[in-house]
Parts: sequence; structure tokens; C-alpha cells
Amino acid sequence: MRVPVGMPLRESEAIVLRTTRLGEADKIVSLLTRQWGRLRAVAAGARRPKSRWGALFEPMTHLRAWIFERENRDLLRMNSADLIESFFDMQKEYRIQVATNYLGEVTERLLPEREANERAFRLLVAVLKGLKVSGEVNRPLGYFDYWMLKLGGFLPDFERCHNCGRDMGQGAFYGPGSEGLVCRDCKPPAAASPLPKNDLRTMALACSQPLDKWLRTQRVGDSIRVRLFLEEVIRTHAERELVTVGMLKEEG
Amino acid sequence: MKDYAEPLARLIEELKRLPGIGQKSAQRIAFHLQRVPREEAERLAAAVHEVKDKIRLCSRCNNLTDRDICEFCSDPTRSADVICVVESPFNVVAIEKTREFHGQYHVLHGALSPLQGIGPEQLKIKSLLERLKGGVKELIIATNPNVEGEATAIYLSKLIKPLGVRVTRIAMGIPVGSELDFADEVTMLKAIEGRREI
Ligand SMILES: [Zn+2]
Ligand SMILES: [Zn+2]
Repeated sequence: MRVPVGMPLRESEAIVLRTTRLGEADKIVSLLTRQWGRLRAVAAGARRPKSRWGALFEPMTHLRAWIFERENRDLLRMNSADLIESFFDMQKEYRIQVATNYLGEVTERLLPEREANERAFRLLVAVLKGLKVSGEVNRPLGYFDYWMLKLGGFLPDFERCHNCGRDMGQGAFYGPGSEGLVCRDCKPPAAASPLPKNDLRTMALACSQPLDKWLRTQRVGDSIRVRLFLEEVIRTHAERELVTVGMLKEEG
Repeated sequence: MKDYAEPLARLIEELKRLPGIGQKSAQRIAFHLQRVPREEAERLAAAVHEVKDKIRLCSRCNNLTDRDICEFCSDPTRSADVICVVESPFNVVAIEKTREFHGQYHVLHGALSPLQGIGPEQLKIKSLLERLKGGVKELIIATNPNVEGEATAIYLSKLIKPLGVRVTRIAMGIPVGSELDFADEVTMLKAIEGRREI
């Protein structure tokens, strides 16, 4: 493989977030790479049946990619790629497909392009493995929401009111467009029913361990309400509406 | 876009919106259209108009047609016992090329793709369920061999098998990640012949 001077070839592990069609037979692959953050690269001929790329660019495929920088071009170019792990089969189930699409959409929306974020990469891999092993949506997504917010510095305080700073006591409130939790006195008019302090503490504790360890315990229902709250905060920070959030709600 | 006279620039801009057409191709086509005899350019414009005026969805299978019921649905030699479900009207063409399928079609107009806001509600599934009440024996699912197509196949199979209809999926002689439109006749034929129950 010849590498022209001034056009470095980058090698990195990556997760495929989504692909879009380009021209007659190419794909633009949106990736979260371990070393270089989020990138978009062209994979030439990837839609042809006899393409050398095969099934590599199906959503959420974990691969090793060799990416080529082209001078004066916006898009990078993928030179080659090897499969590390496929997450294809689990997504045949629509419920899981909605969940993985949510992971992709949030990652694209919250992480800026070409800004390295290895912890976010490791988080995404762990969450995909969690979905694959457990077939469960709730805890893997709750874990993802918690850590995406935490890594971005947006994780709300679970103890003190976002507005007045006082201890929230037993009930913590939030509403549409919330960035944090507020006390009974500060609650917004369209507030959801309060989150019990216990649920919040359980969630923080659960997320302080590796996801696979959490998934080995039997407490499946733990995180649903807290997860919905974290999703609301993610929506607030994503600025534009997230398409997949509504679809997650329909799936329960 | 000050490089061209305004009408030419506008044509180039419109052409660039077409799938697979970039700046260079758009320029080439625009210059070509400017050079050809007026009648030739007008035939193209008229053809576009006619498609917009006359083509609609078949009220039974959602394929593109210029009548209420399309040629496949109204052909008495085609069996109404077997329905082949595809994502797009393109795929009907690919399957017809094999000359071996003699049933009817149902076009979903997409596949499950949450990122694009496409869930079951956005696909032509309700009208498919209606058709199944007419005593259909087999449903062959020929969605694309990618995550979206597979998820759609499994979703339909879960929905429809309890109704007592045999549900099959075309064989994956067609590589994952590619598109049915690209499959040659032989591959497509093998895929239909090798279908299995899901
Ligand atoms: Zn307060
Ligand atoms: Zn029809």
C-alpha cells in the first residue's frame, strides 16, 4: 500500500454509526473511531454485490479501518477494513434495531467530528456487547445515557436542585427541555411525576460498575424511569429533535 | 455559481439534486441539453411531466402503475396464492427478470429504519394484512440483505405467521450489505428457489 507524502493513512478501531449512499455504488460511512473520534469516510463500491467490503458497513459493526486523508476534500477515504465483531444478528429484532439506531443518533449528535474520545468509544462497544449478550434494551441504554452525559460534563446532580441548590429530599422533578432535576418548590409546570431518591441512587451505583457486571444481576426494572429522565437531558443537549427517541417510547 | 448564465446555473442546480449526479455530471448534462434540438429537450420535459401526472401506486400492491390496478395484480395467469414482499418498485423489476416468479407483489416502500424515522407505521403493512384475508398461502419476503431488510423480514414474519400463512425469506445468495437492484438474474433466481421458512 503506497502512502503519498502529506496524506497520512490512519489506522483505528471503529464502530459504524450509519451509512448513506453516495453516487452509483459507493457508501459514506459515519464512524466512531477509537483514536480519532467521529469521522466520515467514503467506501468505494460498497453497495455492489461483489464488493470487497462485503457486510462490513452494516450499522454497529466493530472493525479495524485504514483511513486515508485526501487533500482538499471534505471526506476521508477508507482504504481497507477488517471485521472485529459483527452486531448484525441481534438487530434483526426491531426492538434492538431501534436501540442501536438510538446509540448511533446520540453519538453523532453529541460528539463533535474529529475530536478523539476514547472513553466514548469504549462505552459504545460495551453497550453493544451488553445488548448482544442480554437481549435487553433498558439497562444497556440507561448505562449509555448516564455515561454519555457524564463524559460530556452534562450529568445532572442527583442530590441537589438544579435551580436553587437545595437538597431535593424525596422527590426530584423534571419536565420537557430540562437540563437537571429540581426540588418540589422549583418544579416546572409540565413536570413528570417525581423520581424517588432511591431510584436515582440505585442508578448511580449501578453505573459505577462495568455494564456486564450490572447485567449479571437480576434487577432488570431498576432504571426505566431514571433512564427516561436521562434521555430527556440528552434531547435537551442534542438541540434538534432525536428521531429515534419517539420510536424507543413506542417500543416501551 | 456566477460561472454560468442564470438559466444554465439553475438547470445545473436542479440536476445536482438527482441521485448519483454530482457537479461535473450536472454540468455535462446541462450543456448537452442546451446543445440538442429543441424537440429532444422537450421530449424529456414532457416525459417527466407525464410521469408526474400519470404514475401512481397500485391500489392493491403499491407498485408504480398508470392504472388503478397494476399489470401484475390484474394478470389472470398470475397466482394470487403467493405474494412476494419487496422494499421498492425497483425490486419488482429485478425479480421479474428471472421470469420464474408467477405470483403477485406487495411493495412496502421502504424497510424498518429507526434512524430515518421509518417504523412499521411508515410502511405499507396494513394493506398487506388486508390482502392476506383473501386466502394467501405463502408470503415470500424479498427485502434487501442488510440490517433494515432483515429486521423488516423478522417483523413481518412474527406478525403474519400466527395468521396461518407460510412465510419464507429469499436465500442469502445475495451478499449482506449489497442491494437487490444490483443482483443479476441468476443470483436472484437462486435466491427465490432457495427460500426457506422463517
Ligand atoms: Zn429548588
Ligand atoms: Zn398491483
